[in-house]
Amino acid sequence: MGQLEIEKLNETTFVLQMGPHHPATHGVLKLYCEFEGERVLRIIPDVGYLHRGVEKLAESKTYPVAMTITDRLDYISSMTNNIGYCIAIERLMGIEPTRRAKFIRTMVAELTRLSSHLLWLATHALDIGAMTVFLYAFREREQILTFFEKICGARLTVSYPRIGGVRVDVEQAVLDEIYGFTDTMLKKIDDYEELLTENRIWIARTKGIGIISAEEALSLGLTGPVLRGSGVYYDIRKLEPYDAYGEVNFEVPLGENGDTYDRYLCRIQEMRQSVFIIKQCIEKMPEGQVISEQSPQIDMPFQGKREILADGSLWNGFVSFTDKKNEIMPKGEFYSAIEAPKGELGFYIVSDGSGRPYRMRVRAPSFIHISAIPKLCEGHLLADVITIIGTLDIVMGEADR
Amino acid sequence: MRTLVKKLLFLDLLKGLIITFKTIFTHPVTIRYPKEKRKPEPGFRGRHAFVRNPDTGKERCVACTKCAQVCPSQCIYIDYSINSETGARVLTKYEIDAFRCIFCGYCEQVCPVNAIVLTEFYEYASYNRQSNYFDREVLLKNWDEFVKQYNRNEYLNKFWYLPGVDRNILPAGKRNPEPILCYLDKQSHIESQHLSQLNSLSVQDNSKKEPH
Repeated sequence: MGQLEIEKLNETTFVLQMGPHHPATHGVLKLYCEFEGERVLRIIPDVGYLHRGVEKLAESKTYPVAMTITDRLDYISSMTNNIGYCIAIERLMGIEPTRRAKFIRTMVAELTRLSSHLLWLATHALDIGAMTVFLYAFREREQILTFFEKICGARLTVSYPRIGGVRVDVEQAVLDEIYGFTDTMLKKIDDYEELLTENRIWIARTKGIGIISAEEALSLGLTGPVLRGSGVYYDIRKLEPYDAYGEVNFEVPLGENGDTYDRYLCRIQEMRQSVFIIKQCIEKMPEGQVISEQSPQIDMPFQGKREILADGSLWNGFVSFTDKKNEIMPKGEFYSAIEAPKGELGFYIVSDGSGRPYRMRVRAPSFIHISAIPKLCEGHLLADVITIIGTLDIVMGEADR
Repeated sequence: MRTLVKKLLFLDLLKGLIITFKTIFTHPVTIRYPKEKRKPEPGFRGRHAFVRNPDTGKERCVACTKCAQVCPSQCIYIDYSINSETGARVLTKYEIDAFRCIFCGYCEQVCPVNAIVLTEFYEYASYNRQSNYFDREVLLKNWDEFVKQYNRNEYLNKFWYLPGVDRNILPAGKRNPEPILCYLDKQSHIESQHLSQLNSLSVQDNSKKEPH
């Protein structure tokens, strides 16, 4: 990009460098756009402005401590990031969280999904020009953040789940409050739908914009509501149930046309399903402990003790230490994924037996969704580029890591 | 046909406008911040403080350095010396760099004696960089400031006793921590003290008067 490309341009094409400081790009995303008139010729996304080295940083922390870094990946749904990481380490260690912890986790994950979708709806509608929905959605999101504050003491960077459970128990009063909130939430979702679903401006701006077929979506690696909007049944909560998702009933909403409007309907229906899951979780909430006994302490050592071999002595009175250390974690490498609000959030962890991950690779949905922007924007107008960025629901903290 | 009528009558837009019209009659959810303050929920992770031990008037810290080890952002600095007579560790330096802190609350969870705590005090922005480096005295002062504005009589952080966690896997100090008495409705506390003093005085007066 840059100088060479600009020289090759035709006289009719027009170059616009959108971002990285543009309010509609949802973070520090930069788009190199070439237009012919107002039609998009091609778009090249440029990422990396928010790179903080999260994956490298995790290599210098022990497994329980590295969890606090995952809060900062997708900072508007940090609970699911934590849960995804914790489930990955649980599968590595072969421990099972307690039953109550599973239900609490499912409940907070769905609350996070609600809050993330509300923020998506708010900003997406604001980009297209519907100001009112922005304010209404933030009103409900504020309540969800207050629940998080009551549960764990923080609103965004929660650090609530632990490997093998959760940090503290949720009080019954808070559960009752959340149960009361679910009823009002359903009415509020109806309100959003009345404001948008049949609105002629909304339909004109979203129908037929950013169409992607099921095959193309699969080949681009899209996941989450973006893939389901194209009609592909892919939801890790159903296909490979983790936590308590196997014990609650819910449906996976699917779209038909794969355009922005269908993705919007999918997410709205998903919010309804989230509310139903939260209700079922609170109704079925079992009693008991919230953290498993085998779960590692948060101050676990980063390496095992050295082995002292009796036959390694040089002569009587001296004992030599061998280089071999006791392993405190199982060795191996594996991939584990959960269904985050934005798509499939995977953690690929390589363990060398010490208390620190040898390598932690994050498969972030936002990063992969950005790669679909050039394909989705083909032949659309400049104003539709904003719509397409909004409908993909990208968070740059997760994409750049 | 029906859709045409709907479009001609602007029914879709009217539906939305009815909702916005209804909202006029609801209360605003925003608060006017500097005048009206948001009350944080119990257990909110705000400014750091050292719990002042009511018996000794000093901090509870025993310099085990667990918090410094577990801190993800490495913002805690501890120095200690060893008392040659008793062999106990004596805290000589304890500093927290609040700019680096990420407020994960690991330090208060790992502390075996519940010395460090993240209080519910959140308004400590300042123009001065130095004021966000907390040392021992400042941390104790933070606790006093927090207790002064706290509006309950007893303070017990839920990350001290960790409800729902099996008692056996916790260190001894975390199994059954006692709440700290704050006497935050200080007025009534002072009044009650005053009354008891008056009573004792009056009793003394009576006893003095009796011989006459």
